[in-house]
Amino acid sequence: MNQRAQQHTTNRRDFLLRLLKGGIFIGAACSLSYWLYDAAGPGVVREVKDLVTLPDFSLPSLKGKMSIVTGGDRTEAIRRALDTMGGIETFIKKGDRVLLKVNAAFATPPILSATTNPQLVAEVAHLCYKAGASSVVVTDNPINDPASCFALTGIEEAATSAGAKVLVPKESFFQPTTVSAGVLIQNWPILWEPFQKINKVIGMAPVKDHHRSGASMIMKNWYGLLGGRRNIFHQDINTIITELAMMVKPTLVILDGTTAMMTNGPTGGSLSDLKQTNTMIVSTDQVAADAFGATLLGKTVADLLYIPRAESAGLGTADYEALSPVRVNVS
Amino acid sequence: MARTVSKTEIYVGCTILIVLLVISGGILLKQSQYNPSIFKPTTFQPESPAPTSPRASSPPDLIQYAPKSLTALTPPETFGVENLSDKINGKAELYLSAGFVRLVSQRFAIEDEPTAWMEAFIYDMGSTRGSYAVYSLQKRSEATELDTGDFAYRTENALYFVHGSYYVEIVASIAQERMVELILSFGDNFIRKTTAGSEAINEFILFPTKHLNKKSISLLPSDAFGFQQFDSIFTAQYEVGDTELTAFLSQRKSPAEAVRLVESYTSFLREFGGTELKSTLNIPGAKLVEIMDTFELIFSRGSVLAGVHGAENRKAAEALALMLNHSLAEKGQ
Repeated sequence: MNQRAQQHTTNRRDFLLRLLKGGIFIGAACSLSYWLYDAAGPGVVREVKDLVTLPDFSLPSLKGKMSIVTGGDRTEAIRRALDTMGGIETFIKKGDRVLLKVNAAFATPPILSATTNPQLVAEVAHLCYKAGASSVVVTDNPINDPASCFALTGIEEAATSAGAKVLVPKESFFQPTTVSAGVLIQNWPILWEPFQKINKVIGMAPVKDHHRSGASMIMKNWYGLLGGRRNIFHQDINTIITELAMMVKPTLVILDGTTAMMTNGPTGGSLSDLKQTNTMIVSTDQVAADAFGATLLGKTVADLLYIPRAESAGLGTADYEALSPVRVNVS
Repeated sequence: MARTVSKTEIYVGCTILIVLLVISGGILLKQSQYNPSIFKPTTFQPESPAPTSPRASSPPDLIQYAPKSLTALTPPETFGVENLSDKINGKAELYLSAGFVRLVSQRFAIEDEPTAWMEAFIYDMGSTRGSYAVYSLQKRSEATELDTGDFAYRTENALYFVHGSYYVEIVASIAQERMVELILSFGDNFIRKTTAGSEAINEFILFPTKHLNKKSISLLPSDAFGFQQFDSIFTAQYEVGDTELTAFLSQRKSPAEAVRLVESYTSFLREFGGTELKSTLNIPGAKLVEIMDTFELIFSRGSVLAGVHGAENRKAAEALALMLNHSLAEKGQ
């Protein structure tokens, strides 16, 4: 027994030898791993950028303003809506640098109402300049073929004719942001460059049905500020819309319900998807604007989960009547 | 007899284990911070040419289907499962759930009228069921039915049809008769030049024809009525007097699967506040659930799952369920 124990006892020399062999083995494995390690990853260029945060563009003194104008002429409707709120000068001052966030998501003609109406873009840009704005920028990130989207929707021509500058997104325009109270927008790229030197933001969207979220209006329109593989957010569409509303605090929103896309949104395609709802909504409360817009689609706030969620997050009120909206008929 | 282990060996062993634990922790930490917007091949390529498809490196030029007076406004673009949403945004989910394979789209303009243009969308849905599903779920109620392809209709400015596994949309920028003629011609050319094996959809004939709105038959490819296990469900609208009813049926793999789905859907409805009522119908295994002031009737016959969905009137729902059961029996189910 003692003899067997002695045979299995490792002496100092054996131990050091084994330790050396083990060290060489570990060292070789580490060297091999280091040699094989690809810091960039497969086809990935990881550019570390600083997190950015969009400033608050809202005007606290004008909180909870809303105007609802009935009429089929967009130009007249937007003018009257703004007049009831004290005119565009209430929101845009001399020297302001304004960004119009339009919906140019698809390369479709204006008659399909899948995008912001070019006439409306031209009129709002014109009014901003009239109020003394020093610059007006029009932008969106349609992902697929942005140049065609701005051209075929008529937005590019309308904007430039009014003296506004269209910023078609480029990769360098994007910077990561994080919505602190959010769970989805974490270190996510957003269209940042067009916001440089901007001090007023106006969101402009048409009223549309949406296959995934039920409706695409003002809050959903901020989706066009996201870069990256944003389609993954469609799996949790109500949360992402709520977080987008947290991310952007606009000066003013314009929800164009002159022609609403009632079915087959957000792309539509047929004129039979559309209905003349002849309503222009202007508000400083994006939640209230969407809540009213839902009624044009024959829906309620309960049908569009992101509206009560945005309200719960303190982003506005779904009870638009509580804002005592000014109602005008110009038809 | 165990050999003696020295303290040094124990220290070295523990050190190695600790190092391995630290490495594992680091990997887990890094993985938990995975950011798909950064760790991916670049997808934001606004100035890049047409996206690529998994099935074709060079998309087919759709000019081959265009009538002579049309000229290509853009090159053809191809989209696969991974980038369909780049083209049609939130509507991509509808196509993906129905088996979408590939989309080829291209714009054309009238030669002497460049502001009058159209865009053709050729969706390869992989099967006639897939193409019928997206066709039926987007069908415009105010439309003119056509004989083009397997199923077709036109509106003021667009043509929609199914040709085998292809679902085709041709949308014009203007509502003009000349443009509509060109669109129809484009569609005819596509059908004539494209071989598409059409498979029969047998479920159509299983619905009872009395009171049936024949144009209303739709195919829900997945998550029908909010229930995840309900895929490939056909629905049809019935008008009995002033009452509108929705019947549904689905061919399952086996009678056992159909029976199981009846049970699981009933449980699903109960979970969401439904109350199971005693069914007096002469249909074995039929379930009746009242939920949010509507009635759901579910049963199986052979390998067919069937029922009436969201009926406001119990008697009318039961009458339709009996008709449906009778129709299934007549068709040998």
